[in-house]
Amino acid sequence: MSFTTMLSQMSVGMMRTIGIFVLTLLFSLPLGLVVSFGRMSKWKPLSLVVKFYISVMRGTPLMLQLLVVFFGPFYLFGMNIGGSWRFIAIIVGFSLNYAAYFAEIFRSGIESMPVGQYEAAKLLGYSKGQTFFLIILPQVIKRILPSVTNEIITLVKDTSLAFALAYMEMFTIAKQIAASKTTFLPFIIAAVFYYVFNLLVAVVMEAVEKKLSYYR
Amino acid sequence: MKKKLIGVLLCTAMVGAMFPATLFAEERTTFTVGFDAEYPPYGYMDENGEYTGFDLELAQAVCDLRGWELVKTPINWDSKDMELESGSIDCIWNGFTINGREDAYTWSVPYVDNSQVIITSKNSGITTLEDLAGKVVGVQAASAALQVLQDEEQQKELADTFATLQEFSDYNSAFVELQAGSVDAIAMDIGVANYQIKSRSNGEDFVILDEHLNAEQYGVGFKKGNTELAEQVNESLMELLEDGTFAELAEKYELTDMVCLGNEEAAEEAETETETAAE
Repeated sequence: MSFTTMLSQMSVGMMRTIGIFVLTLLFSLPLGLVVSFGRMSKWKPLSLVVKFYISVMRGTPLMLQLLVVFFGPFYLFGMNIGGSWRFIAIIVGFSLNYAAYFAEIFRSGIESMPVGQYEAAKLLGYSKGQTFFLIILPQVIKRILPSVTNEIITLVKDTSLAFALAYMEMFTIAKQIAASKTTFLPFIIAAVFYYVFNLLVAVVMEAVEKKLSYYR
Repeated sequence: MKKKLIGVLLCTAMVGAMFPATLFAEERTTFTVGFDAEYPPYGYMDENGEYTGFDLELAQAVCDLRGWELVKTPINWDSKDMELESGSIDCIWNGFTINGREDAYTWSVPYVDNSQVIITSKNSGITTLEDLAGKVVGVQAASAALQVLQDEEQQKELADTFATLQEFSDYNSAFVELQAGSVDAIAMDIGVANYQIKSRSNGEDFVILDEHLNAEQYGVGFKKGNTELAEQVNESLMELLEDGTFAELAEKYELTDMVCLGNEEAAEEAETETETAAE
């Protein structure tokens, strides 16, 4: 296998890696916000359930969660899990897991806002929804960006866990090429791929941060 | 009240996420083979990035005869049983050792005579199995070699003399460890050992011990009780043997010395095995 074939094979895998990455962010960020509301809910049963969900998601390995999501439907309900379920399971598993982490990050941001702002908004006639989306959330986003960047970078590297479900993302392909060609070159390529991708993520997030710091 | 509603919605969403559109069973038009794509020469990625190997080409030939579409599904070897059990694959066809797993699957006829061997570096001074006493021996996790080394009736006694039995996930890193001296020897299938020695740039540094750990056979593993599919595949394999396709493939992958399909003893043995497994 020539170097170029190796690169093109791994690029195909990289597309799948990026697919996991983008879809996970797409689902887990909004879900994380919803979960954080549940976590902060004054209705005890809900906040307890959500607290339990977060503790399970953070307290067990993501790899194990992926196996449970993929094989669970068969072992619990005897369902046939062929076809596209493999990919769906990966996205569901990653999203549920990352939503838990994002929820806690959102909570830290939301709870850090001074109560005075809510009171002022109320006096000025803002509804609860308006207060949150127009006043609180924009400030929260600014505050939590560094921690979110942290999570996003971790996600890039975590995509390799999809190997547990034999999904042919970039690192799984790297291992297969390494096995058939008995060389470690694919791992070096993989390292470069991950690094460049994360560099890109860091640059983008930094630009966003700069753009949002309009009061400084 | 609103919060309660949100709560209910939340819970519904969580439960809903766990139920995908129900997938249904249909008449066989496809044949899904599960294999470890890091297992040359039986299943691996070729020059063009396609999955190939002796077993996969054989599976393709069977599918051509049957008019099935072959779906090659690389699996994580550690979860092969879950994959098979849950029906995401139809069989495990990948240098899959029958011995020691007779009752766990419904088997096809055996088609390759295999041995588990010890590979070590030339200058290690290890020439017999006894020399392995006090040494670190590597073996692939969930592999047949590991099973042999853990079986009381087989080589458990030998394995007990090792300093450590080190499990690893792929052969590539095992060979680097062997080279680096962090393991002294590796136990593996002879076909794999030959491929590794042949394809490594420093292959001549390694040697296979003359003493083998055992003799065993490869078959195609089906979900226990799936005798119908096993018989269909058996029938096609026999056809491929008669028209010479099987021998051609064996030659292509330099396995001619090892194939045993059609060997009468082997066939009989498999039949009784299939029967027992079907009980």
